[in-house]
Amino acid sequence: MRILVIGAGKVGYALAEHLTEEEHDVIVIDKDEMVIDRCTGSLDVLCIRGNGANAKVLLEAGVDKANIVIASTESDETNMLACLISKRLGAKYTIARIRDPEFNESQTLLQNELGIDVAINPERATALEISRLLRYPFAGSIESFARGQVEMVEFRAQEGDPFLGIAMKDLAAEIPKMPRVLYAIVERNNAIQIPGGDFVIEPGDKVFVSGDMMTINDYFRFLGRNRQKIRSVMILGGGRISYYLSKFIVPIGVHVTLFEINPEKARTLSEQLPKVDVILGDGTDQDLLEEQGLSQMDAFISLSNRDEENLMTGMYASRSGVPKVIAKNSRMAYQQILNDLGLDSVISPQFITSSTILRYVRARANSKGTRVERLYRLLGGKAEALEFIARRGDAYIGIPLKDLNTRKGALVSVIVHQGKIIVPFGQDRIEEGDHVVIISSQSGIADLNEVLYK
Amino acid sequence: MNRKLIFRMLGALLLIEDAAMVPAFILSLIYQDGDAPAIALSMMILLLVGGGLFLGLKRNPDDHLRLKEGFLITAFGWLLLALFGCLPFLFSGTLPRFEDAFFETVSGLTTTGASVVTRFSGFPRGVMFWRATTHWIGGMGVLVLTLALLPKLTGRTAHLVKAESPGPSLSKLVPKTGATAKILYRIYIGLSLTEFVILMFCGLNPYDAAIHTMSTAGTGGFSNYGASVAAFNNPLVEMVITVFMLCYGVNFALYYKFLIGDHFRAFIRDEEFRWYFFLACGFIVAVTLNNLSFYSGNLLTSLRYSAFQVASVMSTTGFVTADFNLWPASSQVLLLIIMFIGSCAGSTAGGMKVIRVNMLIKMSRRNIRAALHPKKVDVVRIDGKAVDETMLSQVALFAFMYGALVLLGALILSTSAPYDTLTHLTASLTCVSNVGPGLGFVGPVENFAGYGIVGKFTCSMLMLSGRLELLPLFILFTGSAWHKY
Repeated sequence: MRILVIGAGKVGYALAEHLTEEEHDVIVIDKDEMVIDRCTGSLDVLCIRGNGANAKVLLEAGVDKANIVIASTESDETNMLACLISKRLGAKYTIARIRDPEFNESQTLLQNELGIDVAINPERATALEISRLLRYPFAGSIESFARGQVEMVEFRAQEGDPFLGIAMKDLAAEIPKMPRVLYAIVERNNAIQIPGGDFVIEPGDKVFVSGDMMTINDYFRFLGRNRQKIRSVMILGGGRISYYLSKFIVPIGVHVTLFEINPEKARTLSEQLPKVDVILGDGTDQDLLEEQGLSQMDAFISLSNRDEENLMTGMYASRSGVPKVIAKNSRMAYQQILNDLGLDSVISPQFITSSTILRYVRARANSKGTRVERLYRLLGGKAEALEFIARRGDAYIGIPLKDLNTRKGALVSVIVHQGKIIVPFGQDRIEEGDHVVIISSQSGIADLNEVLYK
Repeated sequence: MNRKLIFRMLGALLLIEDAAMVPAFILSLIYQDGDAPAIALSMMILLLVGGGLFLGLKRNPDDHLRLKEGFLITAFGWLLLALFGCLPFLFSGTLPRFEDAFFETVSGLTTTGASVVTRFSGFPRGVMFWRATTHWIGGMGVLVLTLALLPKLTGRTAHLVKAESPGPSLSKLVPKTGATAKILYRIYIGLSLTEFVILMFCGLNPYDAAIHTMSTAGTGGFSNYGASVAAFNNPLVEMVITVFMLCYGVNFALYYKFLIGDHFRAFIRDEEFRWYFFLACGFIVAVTLNNLSFYSGNLLTSLRYSAFQVASVMSTTGFVTADFNLWPASSQVLLLIIMFIGSCAGSTAGGMKVIRVNMLIKMSRRNIRAALHPKKVDVVRIDGKAVDETMLSQVALFAFMYGALVLLGALILSTSAPYDTLTHLTASLTCVSNVGPGLGFVGPVENFAGYGIVGKFTCSMLMLSGRLELLPLFILFTGSAWHKY
């Protein structure tokens, strides 16, 4: 597909990178010469320097033949304008990053009038992700599949977990009481493994388990991880993510203490969020944090504009005994170091935004050619979860999984059969119309027939 | 620095060169001139070395080609291609001395067309065909060909194409580098086939037509006759070659735009093409008129030889129909000027490139204006778009380095053979600009055989520097090119 990416900042660049890897023809438009130089040097894309909201520039980029236009510049207005013009010039599908909440409220109108097919709000998407993390405080990340019926949760195996030292195939026999979930991926020493029958989990491994929501809940209760529920949260920084996050979690009974250093901003927040304790002050001040009861908090979330502040205060909160610490960090490259420092939940709005956009692009790409319904990137892109719908006439239909060959590095993680979740084992089979989630350590799978064959 | 990746790429390059020898090998079997074993042996060696490097080193999927590796692959790639490409000359005994064989191969690959061959009769036709093939693959670029055939070889390939394609900036036609390379070669093959067919219609036998087509396409200038194109003494052939030489000097991106529906607007709207077109016409008229008395007042005869020679020098091909050593001095100076300028960026031709000269002239005018209005903010525009100042200073430096290299080359050459100053200067210039013939003792009917070992290697390096537009070869002399990081 021919995809135009307007604005190659962190999000745009990440998108262009992933999309070229997926064999799309990508054209990048950016105003900045330095950005253009970087893209020409390191990405296999066509770069055009110019304003993405300029019809002449867009035509030079071949917008009339573009399947998708993604506007991800810093400016909402430019993004909206770029989508409007692109649509008028013949682009088939447009995605805009629109972050201002003011625009968000008139979103449907804007979308209809401006020809924006999808509007992504990075702050809102990030807040949503954080609120999901708060539901499973012990989890590093959570993905949901099949319209939210299936969840995949990432957590770190600890000393004392019952499954340690037991091979996968013996788990059901050795610990019959443990709810049966699927061990989808294990990350050990930075390497991804799809666990087979003889695989043994070791303490410190990052484990991804999947199953339906109830089973997952039972599973973590069995492991003793789900004891504490998040009741009180401290948020550092009063930006847009904090605003959306408060909107999401206050109604479900979570108490929020929010630090904001700017008096005007603090006042506005206090007006908009009546149930939230807005504290005017520097959230990096340790005394102030302690005064507001940091060590009693169930979770600490640092969302200031400065990565360093977020990480340092995050580590401090972790040291003070806050069980769940989430820190915002815009640089994906440092994720590994942060994990080593004990910050398990580091979120990057850029990464969340680009993966959200990628899901839409892939869904578009699937309408012709590939058959992936939805695609999720896990562990910074080292593994993927793909959702397929089994189609009539495919070779694997009705055959027990143990009689099929499975592609190396891939695993059938979940089958959703007529709304019922099946965590598949050898005798289960896939029927026509089932949703099937595949976990793979390689990218580029386009069809379920590539994974399962006779 | 990722040595594995570099060696693997070099292996792929040698395999491509191996494949390029196949037609020459087949012809050597047909003509039975006794050169078949020599070519077969060369191909075996290429297959072993290239295949060993390519298959012996597994590619790590995370490997990415960085800028430095791109430059190193380009520089070493071309040196290796020349080293292995000279094997057929050595083994067949046609050019038994290494410096001669190396010079001839470099001259071929860089599409210079300067030769040290003195005896053309009895030259085995298979090796002769290989000599012309080097022009064809060197013209559009061997790395570009590699990427066209093996686009998945390595990530981030733009660096490679950038280092190999002539011109100040890389103009991609489509987002993917591999696809761009494919399009370029399709156009190249299309133009070559057209010329081949037309030359056959003009009465050339298939072998001569093929050799001259490949020579024209790469804007090289090797002929299988000592007298070059003059040997046919056929005005029609000369006309066809004149037109095609100028065609290969045009940026290939314009042909693509022409084909995808811009029609002739693609050419008219391109500033470089307009300059190129008017420069070519202007020089043809000037030289024709200037040579009028030399051709005893016969306008058509003067036009026939002058147009051919201007096209030949401007496209940096170097075919010869007239000995311009005998022309009036002003005609010779005109030829020297276009020898500097050359043709368009993104073509198969050499020289400084019209676009750079265009920018230099505009910069000079701006500089003069600035003397009066020092505070005025003044931008240089090409195609109506402002050109980045970094690019402008790069172009200015390129021009300086180009001139400096020509002078330095002339200095070294002057120590290696007892020729006059004009000979050394034009020999150096013709090598850097990849033209072929110079003036004096390296003139159109002479050749480079008179230069000694030092002279021949100097010329080889000058040709390579000119073809790769200076930087890829020059960075080998910087310390940091050899560091691991």
